[in-house]
Amino acid sequence: MAFEKSGRIKERKSGKAKIRVEKAENNKGTTGRGDNGVVVIKNLTKKFGDNVVLDNISLSIEKGKTTVVIGPSGCGKTVLIKNFIVLLRPSSGEVYFKNKRIDNLPEEKLNKIRTHYGFLFQGGALFDSLSVAENIMFPIVQHYKITDWRQVEEVVKAKLTMVGLDGFQQFYPANLSGGQKKRVALARAIALNPEVILYDEPTTGLDPIRADTINELILKLQRELGETTVVVTHDMTSAYKIADRIVMLHNGKIIADGDADYIRNHSHPVVRQFITGQVNEEDLAVLRASGGISQAKFLPRDFEE
Amino acid sequence: MIGAIGAKAIEDASRVGRFGRFAWRALGACGWSMVRTRTYPLIWTQMNVIGVRSVPIVMITGAFVGMILAVQAYDQLAGMGLEEHLGVLINISVVKELGPVLAAVMLAGRVGGALTAELGTMNVTEQIDAVKSMGTDPVRHLVAPRLLACLLLTPALIIYADLLGVLGGYFVGVMQFGINSQGYWSFSASGVELWDVVVGVVKGFFFGAAIAVISCYKGFTCKEGAHGVGQACTEAFVASFISILALDFTLAVVFKAIYNTFWPLRSLVG
Repeated sequence: MAFEKSGRIKERKSGKAKIRVEKAENNKGTTGRGDNGVVVIKNLTKKFGDNVVLDNISLSIEKGKTTVVIGPSGCGKTVLIKNFIVLLRPSSGEVYFKNKRIDNLPEEKLNKIRTHYGFLFQGGALFDSLSVAENIMFPIVQHYKITDWRQVEEVVKAKLTMVGLDGFQQFYPANLSGGQKKRVALARAIALNPEVILYDEPTTGLDPIRADTINELILKLQRELGETTVVVTHDMTSAYKIADRIVMLHNGKIIADGDADYIRNHSHPVVRQFITGQVNEEDLAVLRASGGISQAKFLPRDFEE
Repeated sequence: MIGAIGAKAIEDASRVGRFGRFAWRALGACGWSMVRTRTYPLIWTQMNVIGVRSVPIVMITGAFVGMILAVQAYDQLAGMGLEEHLGVLINISVVKELGPVLAAVMLAGRVGGALTAELGTMNVTEQIDAVKSMGTDPVRHLVAPRLLACLLLTPALIIYADLLGVLGGYFVGVMQFGINSQGYWSFSASGVELWDVVVGVVKGFFFGAAIAVISCYKGFTCKEGAHGVGQACTEAFVASFISILALDFTLAVVFKAIYNTFWPLRSLVG
């Protein structure tokens, strides 16, 4: 990256630039199941009031690989990845980033840790009042002392080129389509060259072609930047395409954990039902037994005495 | 029954605690922002939005307050032949109480509502989480500039309200009711001290801080959806309004005690 190599953008606190080199690092043989992962959670439980969303989960995210977390809507997938970056703090349990416990850190210290992450929110979470370029500049301006704005603009251009949206710098989020918003949000998420990128439902709400564009983009970034990727989704097409490892959540627990073939051939009925996308017999029976369409129809005179 | 009351008391106490912690963090963030020049553009932007654009509405409010006081008080004073004292009554009411309080209430509606709606929308669309995820403290980035802008500009807006209140009272009293202009100003000058003006302006710092902290807190903690944002705006205005009145009462007591203790001593040092 131009501005890092030149050293003209300096890190504020230390006064010297800490450069995280963009290079594809091969998997060094970590299993992803032990404590050697880049992000590790141990015995994590998250409750909202009396509602237990995550129940004593332990998981290790393997460096340089793409881990996909699947599960039905409302099963706690988003809560899980927000715990990875401690946007939500666990009710009990521990979160580690590169073997350092982070869930008990004060916000001040967490903010430094969070610069090693990129987070793509479900709706993009672009700042409405800022243009596309300003959105992507935001994390750079927050963490670096800018001495040459032209170099920052070059970085913005490079990030937008990576997501195929160069030329959209002056657009505002309100003028972008859903897919474009997600791509701009992705460009912003990679602005600081993070080591870990977290994607929350990256393909939700997009048509199949746009969804596949996002999948290809995730693969491209993983290939070119070599960072660790965690994707939360219920889109099985996407999961099979991008995953090195798939983890399934159900009722706050992990019920399946393995590569795409392992999940595809899993015998657990809940896993099978989810990956085939079929409603179960009990739910069907309830639908059949409930009121017919004739009972649901009404005319204005039905309310007259 | 007792259990329910206890649970409610604990919930209310923890809510107050959360607000207190937020207010403390916001004030700390203000101190941090004031010594970092790169935050000045953010503060400048908020000053424009919060302060400059509020000038017309605050001036209109002040003018009407002065005019209404003149219309309401003239008959009573004229009946006793004291119409030239109208200036004292209007001006002391405007600079000490009505100008600051009504200007602050207008700001609570115009600025407080906008702050809550903006931050509340950012909250429900995960923009505040996005700020955090990029390693930036949202209180420093979003709350501190707004709080500083309110803190610094509410007193200035109160001066505008006072000025227009005084002119409004003069316009109705002298131009409409024909009170002698020299007498009007002469009695005003003898009855309104610098202390009265200072008290009104100093109240502005407290009112501005209360409006900003309450509105930002409600935005940060609002519930999901359009209803959640709307409810947060309503709660922010009601809480700001009550805070303004409570602060006004408290400050009136405090300033009165200070005045009674120290103001007579000025002749000794002056």
